[in-house]
Amino acid sequence: MLSVAGLGKRYPGAARPLFSELRFTVGAGEIVALVGESGVGKSTLLNCVAGLEPADAGTILIGPDAVDMARLDEAAAAALRASRIGFVFQAFHVLPTLDVAQNIAVPLLLNGIDAAEHPRHIEELLARVGLAGFGPRWPASLSGGELQRVAIARALVHRPSLILADEPTGNLDPRTADEVLSLLLERVRACHAGALIVTHSRHVAQACDRILALDPEGLR
Amino acid sequence: MMRLGWWLIRAQLLARRSATALSMLAIALGVALGYAIHLINDAALADFSRAMKAVQGEPDVVIAPRDGAGHIPLALVDQLSRDAAVAVLAPVIETRVRIGDTPLLARLIGLDPFSAALLMPTLLPDQAADAMGSLLDGAVFASPALAEKVGADATLMRGAARWQARIGGELAAVPAGEKLLVADIAWVQAHFGPRDGVGEIRIRLSPGMPLAAWRAAWAPRLPAGIELRAAEDNQARVSNISRAYRVNLNVLAMVALLTGAFLVFATQLTAVAQRSTQFALLGVLGLPPRLRLLQVLVEGLAIGVPGSLLGLLLGCGLAVGFTRVAGGDLGGGFFSPATPVIVPQLLPTAGFFALGCLASLLGALYPAWLNRIQPLAQALKTGFAQGQARGGGHARGRDALLILALAVGALALARVPAIADLPLGGYAAIALLLMLGIVCAPLATRALFGAVARARLPAPLKIAVQNILQAPLMAQVAASGLIVSFALTVSMVTMVASFRTALDQWLDAVLPAPLYMRSKAVPLPAELLADLARADSPFQRVERMAASSFSLDPQRPTVALLVREIDRRDPGAQLPFTGAVADVAPGGIPVWISEAMQQVHGIAVGQRLRLPLLGREIEVTVSGVWRDYARQFGAVVMTADDYLALGGRFEATDLALWPRPGQEAAAQTWLRGAATRHGVEATASGEIRELSLSIFDKSFAITHALEAAAMLIGLFGLAVTLAASVGLRARELAMLAALGFDRAMLGRAVVFEGALVTCVGLALGLAAGIAVGAILTHVVNPQAFHWRMPLAVPWPPLLAVAAATLAAGMLASGIAARRATRLPAAQVLASAQ
Amino acid sequence: MRRRAFLALPPALLAGAVLAAPTFAPVRRDTRLAFPRDHGAHPGYRTEWWYVTGALDAPRANIGFQLTFFRSRSGRAEELVSPLAATQVMFAHAALTLPGERLLHAERSARPGLGAGYSVADCGLHVGPWSMARDDGAGGERLRLAAATPDFGFAFELAPTQPLLLQGEHGWSQKGPRPEFASHYLSWPQLEVSGSLRLDGSPRPARGRAWFDHEWSSAVLAPGAVGWDWIGINLDDGGALMAFRIRDAGGGTVHAGAMLRDATGRQTRFGPEAVSFRPLRRWRSPRNGADYPVEEEILVGPHRLRTRPVLDDQEIGAHRPLPVAYWEGLVTLEGGLRGRGYQELAGYAAPLRV
Repeated sequence: MLSVAGLGKRYPGAARPLFSELRFTVGAGEIVALVGESGVGKSTLLNCVAGLEPADAGTILIGPDAVDMARLDEAAAAALRASRIGFVFQAFHVLPTLDVAQNIAVPLLLNGIDAAEHPRHIEELLARVGLAGFGPRWPASLSGGELQRVAIARALVHRPSLILADEPTGNLDPRTADEVLSLLLERVRACHAGALIVTHSRHVAQACDRILALDPEGLR
Repeated sequence: MMRLGWWLIRAQLLARRSATALSMLAIALGVALGYAIHLINDAALADFSRAMKAVQGEPDVVIAPRDGAGHIPLALVDQLSRDAAVAVLAPVIETRVRIGDTPLLARLIGLDPFSAALLMPTLLPDQAADAMGSLLDGAVFASPALAEKVGADATLMRGAARWQARIGGELAAVPAGEKLLVADIAWVQAHFGPRDGVGEIRIRLSPGMPLAAWRAAWAPRLPAGIELRAAEDNQARVSNISRAYRVNLNVLAMVALLTGAFLVFATQLTAVAQRSTQFALLGVLGLPPRLRLLQVLVEGLAIGVPGSLLGLLLGCGLAVGFTRVAGGDLGGGFFSPATPVIVPQLLPTAGFFALGCLASLLGALYPAWLNRIQPLAQALKTGFAQGQARGGGHARGRDALLILALAVGALALARVPAIADLPLGGYAAIALLLMLGIVCAPLATRALFGAVARARLPAPLKIAVQNILQAPLMAQVAASGLIVSFALTVSMVTMVASFRTALDQWLDAVLPAPLYMRSKAVPLPAELLADLARADSPFQRVERMAASSFSLDPQRPTVALLVREIDRRDPGAQLPFTGAVADVAPGGIPVWISEAMQQVHGIAVGQRLRLPLLGREIEVTVSGVWRDYARQFGAVVMTADDYLALGGRFEATDLALWPRPGQEAAAQTWLRGAATRHGVEATASGEIRELSLSIFDKSFAITHALEAAAMLIGLFGLAVTLAASVGLRARELAMLAALGFDRAMLGRAVVFEGALVTCVGLALGLAAGIAVGAILTHVVNPQAFHWRMPLAVPWPPLLAVAAATLAAGMLASGIAARRATRLPAAQVLASAQ
Repeated sequence: MRRRAFLALPPALLAGAVLAAPTFAPVRRDTRLAFPRDHGAHPGYRTEWWYVTGALDAPRANIGFQLTFFRSRSGRAEELVSPLAATQVMFAHAALTLPGERLLHAERSARPGLGAGYSVADCGLHVGPWSMARDDGAGGERLRLAAATPDFGFAFELAPTQPLLLQGEHGWSQKGPRPEFASHYLSWPQLEVSGSLRLDGSPRPARGRAWFDHEWSSAVLAPGAVGWDWIGINLDDGGALMAFRIRDAGGGTVHAGAMLRDATGRQTRFGPEAVSFRPLRRWRSPRNGADYPVEEEILVGPHRLRTRPVLDDQEIGAHRPLPVAYWEGLVTLEGGLRGRGYQELAGYAAPLRV
């Protein structure tokens, strides 16, 4: 689902590259944790994979048809993100001006699918993340755990090949974090998507299928 | 994707109801104003030409003398009538007469029923009656407006001439409101002249005869004092009359529209800033960059479209209401006060709608672009990024260069002469000056805040100042909005004040006598003049003036000819000259022209002119230029002695009267009695003065209303932007609070910051406003209206407005600060986004 | 004699004011006409007309044309001191008959000084650009005509081939049973026409024969008269025939007369007893229902004649200054005398008010 090779990134004016010649893959249904100290470039790596920051070198092949994100322009990268990638963020990022169902429908709309034709699909998805009947509620009335469940539903609604998650449990209390994490892992596996989860939490990393550790020397 | 866009727009409109409504209102105001002006003027013009068609018919060509004292000789009538290309030739003598000893004035139209039947059938009485015969026999027919006021007989008077006429009946087809009398041309000629000719000839050409060719063939054959006007010339003349006035009103509408665009800008910019995280999220989720741009533009349109529609409705209502109350005249005094019918046309309506939408798009453009270029990952984490604060010598040098270029450009444009009679250069210079003010804003902000930052200040103030220095965008937006609206207000106030001061002084100069008597375009009755000349009249001195007009250019409004009893050796005693007076050689005829005449026709002192007077061309020498705020299309003064020597008849229409000392009250009474008896106007100079100034104030009332609107909109924009910039920094304020600053200290810091921003806006606005006012006074007014006046800056009201604005700015900041610090700091910090 | 539609105008316009009736010059039997002075206008008389009718052979055979000028002393504004006073009014009519097709007609009116004019010294007339004038050029005496309308136009030069024909007694022509009703009347038959005719845009050369009438009078129709029939024919052999009758409401003849000048120049005058008109075929106007005897049998002394129109519908509806309809057109004359000329049938649409 994700195959990275020869990836390098160096910020202008920096003495040495942030990272170079990175190589790794994430298979279908495989969940990979990315760990490392602050400032080592985990987020930048994630941004490069998502096409939000340009990489200096390398290929980033995404999805079953292996489209190279590194070669796409801004608009094409956005289209690829919309169709192949789902995101889960530490800060949830649920749009406060849309209700829960609308938030979940956003990726469908971005893919040109009329959400109004899939109310059942969204209801089922909500039920699977434990939020049955939450569709018409507004984000302001939801707890952090509930918000992250909405985000997980949103990340999966359009059946992406790859889930990118940045500290998905960072803002949650330990019990909620556990629930959300197991939900995320379960749903990703159920969808046969690949997932790359950036985390500082050993607990989270150990729950994953594989752990990639990034340090200034590279991936281990 | 459409659905997503709609969700976002709806959410945005609901979340920012008041800002959105105000932006809409501003756009609506601009559209409404422009549209109403257009509708009213269009209706007035249509009304005017309908009335003209009814009275004049629709001739292809009118051949007329260029001055009131001229006529068309019968030999020319004969020559023209023999031209095979002339299908209908309708000779007409038109004059203004007084009906009996009443104040009733009427147009008396002498026509030839044989040709009038073909060209002006509405002016003929009903054929079924024995009307045609009685017309030839000398009966006079009256329009409905007059028929009810005159009896079976009427004495028609003009100067010393009088005609005891029989009223034959009513002219049912003449439009209501027209006060006119129709008689056979021979009877009018016999009583009021001209002796061997007619007043004008209206011609319809044979089908297939090209007008241009016919005109080219005849124009050179006409005597010097006679001109040939095609139908389109007449239209041009009518439209020229109110053109400058309309254009100026439209510029005011544009100001309202631009202010609206600015408000959309402020609204959308804050909207983009506040939602930067949301837009970044959508970008990460895959919203194409193109749509991030489009979304903000569409949101702008979502303000512009309803705003424009509202504006069209409002404009239509305004036009209908205005014409009901005040008629079709826009305050310029050019058209009759009759109520014209407002008929909106599709194309202009669509045009004004588009203009409103364009303004909203224009306002949304920069915010949309800013939204498009947001770095997604960064914006998702830390919120709105203002881009790199443009610092460094390079950018500053570029700013300085831009400022220099704008200043030079504005100066150069201010010197461009009028294009097509419109002060386009002046308008462009004003636009550049406003831009200059806005471009100066970053420099001024940096300079002021830099200086303040170096001063010893309490910590919270210092932090606030530092904050502006680092992220100046919102402050600059707030300041530029203020610059534009304050500059416009200052400039209008300055222009109007300058004009009023000049008018006041001018009235002193042109109203030397205590009493005046006037009769519109009709010579004063001979009996009245005889009474005044008697030894027992209570006046020691009477100065006569005869006002008429002549045509220098068939497409332009006519120029006034004022024949006055002026002492050739000392004309300055009676005319307010603007410069030196040149001596004229003993044999020459001196004339003194008004400023408008000097500018419209580019005439210099000492120059010789050939004026179309008395049906021929007469060479005169321009001896001086005098100030005249009364006649926008120019005036020429000639001495009565010269006019008489040329063979003209000096028939006074206006009198200036000086009572004998001690008999002032008696003189007033005498004059009022005479005025009632003869149906003329008698006024004291004080009344004229008050009336003139009140007319002036009335005609600028709409300007003042607009100033207030612009200022209010500007203030609101300021408040919105200041509040938004404080809101964006809620986290920072919370952090400061967590570090131990109390709310009052933070509030003071924010208010201090708002005051500084407002000061920058006010200072630059004042400077730009005075510069724009100078351009309005010295460039736009002379070019559009041909009126010159010295610049007078009314400091007290300007400073008062500035102080009020400063207070409002501080208040807005204070309220915003209170709102931002209302939540406990910990909660703000915890909720992060 | 052809007072024509002119007399049908309501008295309001032309018959003078009721209170201050002007004195019109009387027609006197002993007046001796002198030329060119009497080709000019006689403004002292109430009415006067100059009439040219003719038939063209080119550009097409039997195209009829007429150009007529009327002068009327209105009796209005007689005391008014103004060069523009409408004491006189002038009207002009131009018509063209296209045989087998239709009749084209146009009219103009104006007062002298304001678009019209006449000379009192010679024939010199114009209403707008339409004109009729006599001159003695290098080629001899000529009458020149010009008229143009959007549909047609012509400029003709008329060359006399014969001397003037003074009608009645030396130009004194009696019009009713009593001698008060009379006019001064002269004709000029057999005028040779050359010039150009514009039809459908471009002018083409034209030639033909024409007849000129000039008549003036102050007396009106005799009481009881409602209209008249009239012919003026250029005979094929070079002779000329004029005949008329004045009708009453029952179709009876109030007065009649004729003048025949044969090819040798001998003139014969016929009184009422020797002239009669009898309708042979009628044509009904689709516009106003008037029944015109477009073919008539005319007996003049020993001659039995009949008219045949080149076009049935030669009815003229004049509008200026007031509506009136009459029939006036080109006919051929058959029988004892043969020729072409104009026939006028007036007072059939409505009785002419006098």
